[in-house]
Amino acid sequence: MKLTNAFSLVGDYAEPYAWFPESASTFSETNDWLYNWITYTCVVFFVPIMCALFYFAVKYRKPKGAKAESNVSHNTVLELTWSIVPSFFLVGMFVMGARAYLDMRDAPEGANEVNVQAFKWGWTIDYGSGVFHPELHLLLDEPVKLSMRSTDVIHSLYIPAFRAKKDIVPGRYNFMWFKPTVASEKVSDEELAAATKQTKERGESWSYDDHQFTPDGYRFFDLYCAEYCGTNHSEMQTVVVVHETLEDLNAWIKKYSARPTGVDPATYGATLYNNRGCAGCHSLDGSKRVGPSFQGLYGRPEEMVTGESIKADENYIRESILYPKEKVVAGYQPVMPSYKGQLSDDDIYSIVEYLKTLSTTGAATK
Amino acid sequence: MSAGSIPKGSVVRDPGYPTASENYLTNSKGVLSWIFTLDHKRIGVMYLVGVTCAFAFAGLLALLIRLHLFQPDGMIFKGAEANNYYNQLFTLHGAVMVFLFIIPSIPAALGNFLVPVMLGAKDVAFPRLNLCSFYLWCAGAMFFIGALFSTGLDTGWTFYTPYSTTTDTSVIAATMGAFILGFSSIFTGLNFIVTINTMRPPGMTWFRMPLFLWATYSTSIIQVLATPVLGITLLLLIAERTMHIGIFDPEFNGDPVTYQHFFWFYSHPAVYIMILPAFGVISDLISVHSHKRIFGYRFIAYSSIAIALLGFLVWGHHMFTAGMSPMTTIIFSALTFTVSVPSAIKVFNWIATMYKGSISLTTPMCFAIAFIFLFTIGGLTGLHLGTLATDMHLHDTYFVVAHFHYVMVGGTLIAFLGGVFHWWPKMFGKLYSEFGGRLSAAIIFVGFNLTFLPQFVLGSRGMPRRYATYDPEFAYLHQMSTIGALLLGVGLLVALVVLLTSLVKGKKAPANPWGGATLEWHCTSPPPFYNFEHAPVVGDPYDFSNVEWDGANERYVSTEPERKIAPSEIPDAVPAHAKDGH
Repeated sequence: MKLTNAFSLVGDYAEPYAWFPESASTFSETNDWLYNWITYTCVVFFVPIMCALFYFAVKYRKPKGAKAESNVSHNTVLELTWSIVPSFFLVGMFVMGARAYLDMRDAPEGANEVNVQAFKWGWTIDYGSGVFHPELHLLLDEPVKLSMRSTDVIHSLYIPAFRAKKDIVPGRYNFMWFKPTVASEKVSDEELAAATKQTKERGESWSYDDHQFTPDGYRFFDLYCAEYCGTNHSEMQTVVVVHETLEDLNAWIKKYSARPTGVDPATYGATLYNNRGCAGCHSLDGSKRVGPSFQGLYGRPEEMVTGESIKADENYIRESILYPKEKVVAGYQPVMPSYKGQLSDDDIYSIVEYLKTLSTTGAATK
Repeated sequence: MSAGSIPKGSVVRDPGYPTASENYLTNSKGVLSWIFTLDHKRIGVMYLVGVTCAFAFAGLLALLIRLHLFQPDGMIFKGAEANNYYNQLFTLHGAVMVFLFIIPSIPAALGNFLVPVMLGAKDVAFPRLNLCSFYLWCAGAMFFIGALFSTGLDTGWTFYTPYSTTTDTSVIAATMGAFILGFSSIFTGLNFIVTINTMRPPGMTWFRMPLFLWATYSTSIIQVLATPVLGITLLLLIAERTMHIGIFDPEFNGDPVTYQHFFWFYSHPAVYIMILPAFGVISDLISVHSHKRIFGYRFIAYSSIAIALLGFLVWGHHMFTAGMSPMTTIIFSALTFTVSVPSAIKVFNWIATMYKGSISLTTPMCFAIAFIFLFTIGGLTGLHLGTLATDMHLHDTYFVVAHFHYVMVGGTLIAFLGGVFHWWPKMFGKLYSEFGGRLSAAIIFVGFNLTFLPQFVLGSRGMPRRYATYDPEFAYLHQMSTIGALLLGVGLLVALVVLLTSLVKGKKAPANPWGGATLEWHCTSPPPFYNFEHAPVVGDPYDFSNVEWDGANERYVSTEPERKIAPSEIPDAVPAHAKDGH
């Protein structure tokens, strides 16, 4: 076996213990370099200090009652030295950190702008012309500026592979930018087909963790919410896909632009259920999550917080999507964000049609 | 002369052992004598029991958190409410640890007991206020427990708005609890400031005070100046929740970042309320168990004050990613680095104190060495977070979790344990098993590192904090951490057992078991009701030249040269030379 193979084997084995996630933006190189430099500086100070600590503890161990060999009370020169020398390193860290920070802060002219909306507990990325999707799709080697807002509480957009993070504070816009440097691979068609089939058979929503690629077959980088935002904070995750060419990115956007001709509304409704954050709170198997399950919902009378009973018909569902806090089902909190202005009439129609397929009442009316 | 013998021609000074009725534990009896006591030592002991219970409770919550995180999908809690349980768990763990344990641990429990004794005073300046502050602590604790048993609390211990103004959990009960605890903290601080300013006996100048008193004094300044800001902020939060006055909630034209400024303006100085007393404890421990004068006394004393003052200027580093202006962010980063210098000075001083000392590796010394190791790691990793660019990546990840646990657990808790082991014989008049004590220190040290070192890696690899479930790729490191936490729990249990068994089976403690030169070692163990039988002679607190080991009686004693107060024969009325003249 060649030596290089041996090393790559070590690399594979050590990967789960590596210091950093994959480096995939222009910031990550600077950031990792700075992190390592600080760490090495710390080690250079730490090791001698600890050697002295343990060496002294052993070397000057004396029987009870023995007197100390020396009783020096101070040494001004020594004390000033060890106060001033570390200060130079601190100034270095501060200056380099601040410069790199300013680079991360100021987006270059002409960066592509993408609007991001964060809500409890999901993401909606606005690709313009009515295309919304929870995944963040970017173009390789092109700077992109995110213009971010939150509809409820503070969230924080964090992409470890890009070493980039920014809080999203409700009531104001926050911005961040980065330039991705690593494109996402595409998996083979067979692999994608197998995974799609499996997901369909199980009747679940797409599992990014199990497959490690998106429903469109792209490998991805993780995107987390880093600011604690309530119940499903840890599930407020999505993925970042970096496309190699503009054509590829546009083709992907086109795929989600609207209900393609020939696709029936219920099928498209299922896509919207997965893409627009419904899946985070409304289960399909009857289990109670943050919101009521969609299983058998359509046509069922539901008791409201106010005590009245309302049948979950087309109009109620439509109203709940646009004005979710108006009529809340008993036992749930009014936490759903409004989708007003984000879903077209056809989208809402598709979702209603999809809900009908999940209910015996709905299926009967068909 | 072999080590440990008493030189000829010197007199031994030792207060001996207290008789049954003359120590503070036995001079009056019954539950009421404790409930209404004005004795600072009894109040200190009640605090010790209280904060230990709070610690045990919050520690068990921590173990549940770690066990839940043993598996990526969560091991303990399942089903629809799993995330809610987890969120309540980490909130309560944080809030109880910070407000009920770490902040009052050293100042209120050890400080109440020790400040007057070290000072050579009979009690604190305001004994009734002191008792009041203990009962405020109890009331605050009740509110926290009440919040738990009503609808829980899931905001995180920081109560960030607008989440805290919109969640339906018991935010008001918990913030009222924190508000009341704030008063307890202010009263304790006020009491210490007045005590140290006005009740020092003749001879106790500022620079003859033990460093623990310097640390307590600086802490008290922060407590008195910063805590009111927290009180006001929490009242505003309650007003926001109930009346929607529109300070923090954007729905009513408020700004959530304002809350963060207010909150951290208290809570960052509060970090120094937690760690400064620990510095004081360690300074005394290192010096006494090295039997050597503390190196650079004035530098250590001044650096405590410097930390207390600079601590007020750095709160903004909690908000580097919140979207403050670049100028503000950079200024806060620069100020943050300045705090690290006085902290580093102390570490160097402690190690220089050990150089050419006469070191006894007793249990308190083992904890002090562990403290220096762990606190140095905690301090150095703070540099990664103070540096702006790296903080963008590390903020709100497990790196931060590891960093502040190294400072607060590796720092404050270890110093607290070291302090308890150091002063335990003085407080209760019993010696504990040295083997058991050192064993607990070793297990705690290993368990602690196993728990929190992997978390630095988790954080730099991008694992966000406060996650109930996580990506499977992080599982290895989480599992290491959980095993470490269990070990840490075992170590703490050993420490508790060692201390409690000493109360029953321990040997009677001499007045000065370690060879300390500060005043608390000049009274009996446990001290009499008024601390000293006779007014103590104030000397240099770090002068060990007169402290000798009395091997026959297994104790340290103070010696002084034998002086002839009066000649044994009364001389003639007329001096000899006068006689010769006649």
